[in-house]
Amino acid sequence: MNTLDIISINIWQIIISLCNLVILFLLFKKLLFKPVKNMIAERQAKVDKELDLARQAMEEAENDRTLWQNRLDHAEDEAGEIIKKAVSKADRKSETIISTAKERADGIVRQAKLEAELEQKRSEEGIKKEIVDLSSILTGKMLKREINTDDHRELIDEFIDEIGEIS
Amino acid sequence: MSKSNTRFKIIDILLLVMTILPPVAGIVLKVLFVPHSDGIEITGAHVFASLDLPLMPLIISEAQINSWLVMIALAFFCLYLTHGIRAHVDTKRAVIAEWIVETIEKLVTENMGEYFRGFAPFICSILALSAFSSLMSLLGLFPPTSDLNVVAGWALLVFFLITYYKMKCGPLHYLKSFGEPVPFLAPLNIISEVATPVSMAFRHYGNILSGTVISVLIAAALQGLTNLIFGNLPGILGQFPFLRIGIPAVLSIYFDVFSGCLQAFIFAMLTMLYIGGAFPLEDYLKKKAAKTEKRLNT
Repeated sequence: MNTLDIISINIWQIIISLCNLVILFLLFKKLLFKPVKNMIAERQAKVDKELDLARQAMEEAENDRTLWQNRLDHAEDEAGEIIKKAVSKADRKSETIISTAKERADGIVRQAKLEAELEQKRSEEGIKKEIVDLSSILTGKMLKREINTDDHRELIDEFIDEIGEIS
Repeated sequence: MSKSNTRFKIIDILLLVMTILPPVAGIVLKVLFVPHSDGIEITGAHVFASLDLPLMPLIISEAQINSWLVMIALAFFCLYLTHGIRAHVDTKRAVIAEWIVETIEKLVTENMGEYFRGFAPFICSILALSAFSSLMSLLGLFPPTSDLNVVAGWALLVFFLITYYKMKCGPLHYLKSFGEPVPFLAPLNIISEVATPVSMAFRHYGNILSGTVISVLIAAALQGLTNLIFGNLPGILGQFPFLRIGIPAVLSIYFDVFSGCLQAFIFAMLTMLYIGGAFPLEDYLKKKAAKTEKRLNT
């Protein structure tokens, strides 16, 4: 077997080499580029799907957030109103309570005063009576004569009043 | 589950073996059939067989065999890379495959435009075939790219593609382009048209061959130096090529690895630029728009 010259041109060899390149191109296209591109496309679709889902979830969350924020704001207002109402109600109630208490206290005091006056009067009268009795006894003894209290009541009353005025 | 797993692994190993087998087969072929030489010889490819065909005998040479071996190895490597590729599995090889595809596509779209995206596998095959053919010399095999016929075939294909894309606006447009910028420059234009594939083929072939030639020259020089220095040693020591150990390997990094990859890149780059530049995209789009408009009117 011999070897070729360093520079040799052979048309069949050139054609074979040309076909080689075409075949390798087809091989690369079919074996490397197609599967890899399919994989990339598949993954891209998957990523897109997941992104869509995430976006949807985020939108929902945002909607929920605004909804609850609104409710929360309302709740705060409502709470303020309720508190205000409650405070005013309590104020009114306390006022009525205080006023009724005052009235009752006044009533009690008045009654107590009345009772005290009545008591005083009663006791004054009791004392008067006793004094009358006493003085009638005394005068009866002094005059050795029984005095009819009823007969002399007017006189004695005058007398006692005079004493009271003096005292 | 585990059964399919083991089956998957067996197929994996088979594919890897089939990737490695072709270069090994090339080495075996060389050892068995190519006559021994001391490495200080510059010859063309060894001829394995010769068939009688009209016009010229069809020669099956070392270059043809080696380029077929490269193609087989590349095909099985592609199968290995894309074996079990799925959207949700991110294995290392899937990442590598994706990286290759995306890098080549980016390169093609940057140099040729979005219209030529389909050219990515073609450019990839040029890059791979050229680079790995040149790298065959690392295994001591005959690099197919240092055979003019191989590279000439590629350049011819590129020339056909260039002409096809120039013809896309109609043959008249193509013929008119020879008369630019002035009609009497037409011969020069024709020469430059023909020179494109010739220069591409000779550039690639010459670079790889020159690496081989320089390697052989350096081997011869080192052999001479060894004979001069160690020639007086007794027995086998006097014939042992001491200086030819290691030193050629350093040079081989440049001439085989760097030069081979660079020439592959240059060839691919020139292919992209020539084909991209040959296609008058604006004229083509204008013509297409006019055609569709005409169709709509009628």
